[in-house]
Amino acid sequence: MASSSLSKLRASWAIQVRVIHALMIRELITRFGRDNIGFLWIMAEPLLFAGLVGALWHFTHGATEHGINVIAFVATGYIPITLFRHGVSRSVAVFTVNQSLLYHRQIKIVDFILTRFVIEFLGGMMAYLFMAIVLMIFGQFPMPADFGLLIAGWFLYSSFCFAICLIIAPLSEMSEAMEKFIPATTYIMIPFSGLFYMLSWLTPAAREFLLLSPFVNGMEMMRKGIWGDQVTVYYNIWNPIICSAVAALIGLILCRRVRRMLTVE
Amino acid sequence: MIICRDVAKSYSHGRGNKRVFDGVNLTVKRGERVALLGRNGAGKSTLIKLIGGVELPSSGKIIRQMSVSWPLGFAGGFQGSLTGYDNARFIARIYQRDYADVRTFVEEFTELGSQLKMPVKTYSSGMRARLAFALSLSIEFDCYLIDEIILVGDQNFQRKCQIEMFEKREDRAMIVASHSPDFMRQFCNKAVIIDKGKADTYDDVDLALNIYSGL
Repeated sequence: MASSSLSKLRASWAIQVRVIHALMIRELITRFGRDNIGFLWIMAEPLLFAGLVGALWHFTHGATEHGINVIAFVATGYIPITLFRHGVSRSVAVFTVNQSLLYHRQIKIVDFILTRFVIEFLGGMMAYLFMAIVLMIFGQFPMPADFGLLIAGWFLYSSFCFAICLIIAPLSEMSEAMEKFIPATTYIMIPFSGLFYMLSWLTPAAREFLLLSPFVNGMEMMRKGIWGDQVTVYYNIWNPIICSAVAALIGLILCRRVRRMLTVE
Repeated sequence: MIICRDVAKSYSHGRGNKRVFDGVNLTVKRGERVALLGRNGAGKSTLIKLIGGVELPSSGKIIRQMSVSWPLGFAGGFQGSLTGYDNARFIARIYQRDYADVRTFVEEFTELGSQLKMPVKTYSSGMRARLAFALSLSIEFDCYLIDEIILVGDQNFQRKCQIEMFEKREDRAMIVASHSPDFMRQFCNKAVIIDKGKADTYDDVDLALNIYSGL
C-alpha cells in the first residue's frame, strides 16, 4: 500500500515536471517570440532598472555610501525587488489568461503561477550574474565574500515572493478591485524591502520593526554574502521561512477554492 | 467507465446565481456512444466540461475509470497565439507522446499544409475542428468528448472523421453534443436528454429523439 502510493506520487511528480517544462517553453515563446535575442529579454528590465538607478545614485550620493560602492549597493537591492514586482504583476488574472489550458486535466492552476514565477526567478538570477560580472570588470563590484549566504538569501527572498504570488493569483480572480490596489501596494512595499538601506544604518527601534519583514531579512543575508566583514547585518532566517510557509498555505487554500468556481470559456 | 454521481453545478455572478444542474446521475461504459440532447442553454456543454474536468462540479462526484479526452470544441484545448505546430508540440509534451508521430498524424489528418505554421487564431472554425480532432486522435483516448464541432467540417473532413473516429476506433466511448438527429441516429447507441437541470438516459436513441422533439 505504502509503496503503491509512493509510486503514484512519483508518477504525479513526473507529470507535473513535464507540464511545467511545456508551459515554460510556451510562455517564453508567447512572451518573447523567436526573433532577435528572444528570451534573454527577461534580463533586460531588471538590468536597466538596476543600472540606471545605480548611475543616478552614483551622481547624487557620491561613489560610496557608508563605505560601500553605491552602484553595487543599488543594483543588489533592485534586482530582488524587480523579481517581487514582476512576480506579483504576472500573477494577476493568471488563471483567466491561461484558462484554455485547463482543458488538459494534468495542468493544475498552481502550475500557471509556478511557471511564470520560475521564469522571473531565472531571469532575475541571470540579470544578477550578468550585472555582477560587468560591474566587476569595471571594478565596481566586489567578489562575493560568502556565495552560500548570498544564494541562501536570494532563495529565501524568492520563496516569500512566490508565496505572495500564490495569494495574489486567486485573490485577483475573486475580486476585480484587487487589481487596482496592486501597483500602489507594491510601491508602498519598497521601504520594507531593504532596498535603500542596511539595518545597521538605522536606529535600533526602526531595525526591530523592519526585521519583521521577510524581505529585509533576505536582503541583509544577500548583502552579507557579498560584502562579508565590511558590513554589519541583522537577520533571522526563520522569519522568511515561517512567513513563506504560512503565506503559501493560505495561498494554496485560496487556489483550491477558486478552482471550484472558475468558469472556463 | 465514467460515473457522474449527484452532480450539481451552479454559476454565481455578482448577485445572480444560476443553477444548471441539480443531481445528474450518468454512467458511460467502455465503447458506449452517448448523444447529449438538449435545447440551447440546457447545459450540454457544461456537462461535457464537467466530465472533461475543465470545470469542477459544485457538489457531487465524477469518477473517471478510463482515459477521457479534453472536450473537442471551438474554444479551449489550444492556444490562439501559438502556431498549429507549436500546439502539437505542446500537446505531445504534456501527454508524453513522441512529437514526430503527433506531427505526422496532424499533417496527414488536417491537410492544412503550410497553414500549420500560422497562429491558430487565424484559422477558420473548420480548420480548428480539423486540428482539434487530429490532436486528440493522435493521443488516443478511451473516451472522446465532442461538443458540437463535428458538423462544421466539409465533406472531406467528415469522411476522415468517419474513418478515423467511427470505424478505426469503434471500440472507444464517445459523448457527443449535437443538434443533428441524423448523426445521432447513425452513430449513437444511447441518448441523454438534459432538461430543467436533470439528465434522463435512454437506451433507445429514436425514442429519445422523439421525446426531445416534443420538448
